[in-house]
Amino acid sequence: MSDIFTSDNLVFMLKGAGYSLLLALGAIAIGCVIGVLIAAAKLSKSKNIGMVILRWLANIYVELFRGTPMLLQILFFYLGVPVLYQRITGTRMDANPYMVGILALSFNSGAYQAELIRSGIMGVEKGQWEACETLGIGYGTMMKQIILPQAFKRIVPPLVSEFITLIKDSSLISNIGALELLYSAQVLGKKYYDYLDPLILAGVMYLFMTVITSYISRRIERRFAVSD
Amino acid sequence: MIEVKHLYKKFGELQALDDINLTVNDGDIVCLIGPSGSGKSTLCRCIHGLETIDSGEVYLDGELMDPKNKNKYTEQRKKMGFVFQHFNLFNNKTVLDNCTLAQINSGISKEDAEKTAREYLAKVGLSEKADSYPSKLSGGQKQRVAIARALCMNPEMMLFDEPTSALDPEMIKEVLDVMIDLGKQGMTMIVVTHEMGFAKKVADRVIFLDSGKIVEENTSEAFFDAPKSDRAQDFLSKVFYD
Repeated sequence: MSDIFTSDNLVFMLKGAGYSLLLALGAIAIGCVIGVLIAAAKLSKSKNIGMVILRWLANIYVELFRGTPMLLQILFFYLGVPVLYQRITGTRMDANPYMVGILALSFNSGAYQAELIRSGIMGVEKGQWEACETLGIGYGTMMKQIILPQAFKRIVPPLVSEFITLIKDSSLISNIGALELLYSAQVLGKKYYDYLDPLILAGVMYLFMTVITSYISRRIERRFAVSD
Repeated sequence: MIEVKHLYKKFGELQALDDINLTVNDGDIVCLIGPSGSGKSTLCRCIHGLETIDSGEVYLDGELMDPKNKNKYTEQRKKMGFVFQHFNLFNNKTVLDNCTLAQINSGISKEDAEKTAREYLAKVGLSEKADSYPSKLSGGQKQRVAIARALCMNPEMMLFDEPTSALDPEMIKEVLDVMIDLGKQGMTMIVVTHEMGFAKKVADRVIFLDSGKIVEENTSEAFFDAPKSDRAQDFLSKVFYD
């Protein structure tokens, strides 16, 4: 044990962990909004030309963000987009690494969440939809009262996995110089010429966050299980 | 009253229903019988609009059921209760909520909806299960709740799509008893069934389908004692083991 573990350094690491958690929370929330919209577009069966194009765009979106590395996406938004902006407008744009980080994580997560939500909704038995239909229950009530609650119950476990992935993947933001948990560990490592202890500490903090998340998720699942 | 006129329905290459003509008068109990794949369930589903029809018409009380006329179509469909083979109770709702949801959705107050729901739950003998979730019920109980749920919408007629086919043998009777009661009260019923005993005892008329066509339409006594068509004779000889 070295003299790294001063209270100042611990606070520094905890602050990094806080940023990681905030990044993950922001990304899961914004990603959820994106996911719902993309899933709705993909689930629509409308033959209206506008909807067909929207469905097509939604498919491209999912393939694009699921099919390329997250790190590439982060670098693209941080380093690539400003160049693009400058070429088009002729003025410079300074990207804020936090803004870029949270957007990149959200866009990426949105693609995964769209698929989770879509499969959750499609996984609700056909009979549940048909029962609503025969009873004259309107679309809004059907979705709100019957389909989404049942879909949500199925979505919770994979959604929690997605959140855990985000907590860990937020570390990729360290590549563009945003302070989060892994970056904090690297800063301390560099300062003390000792990477072992900060990295172990960062690992423990990541584990702490993910294990707590798993625990909360199990509690939620148990609460949903009343109707099982 | 339901009238089906020249109804055709294809699933891919398969002609599921082939020029079906059928009239069911108020108070009639009609059983649809036939081998699996004969189209009897499809017919039942087409009448309620769960399947789109390729051509032909369905009339309810002399009025065309037209999916394009959305509001009227919805109102017309509400007049027909539908009971599924696999019950399709709302899994995330209690028995009582299963019975009140559609009522409340169509503008009935929560108090009135609950009153109606409890009435019908009592009628099917399940008052004490009002607060249970469907997963805690037996198959027979689920189907009785499903019937109560449909009745809560005060339908003019009931469609049953193989209501006992998914049940354990000893639970069939409790469901059939509820249906017999319903018939006695004058409910118009179309029942797709493999329960020949029920059809013989309860049905006014039996419609025998094979390969998407109505092969024979007869009173139930005549159908079971002396079926006119060879196909029905053959079917009955295989169904009854004696």
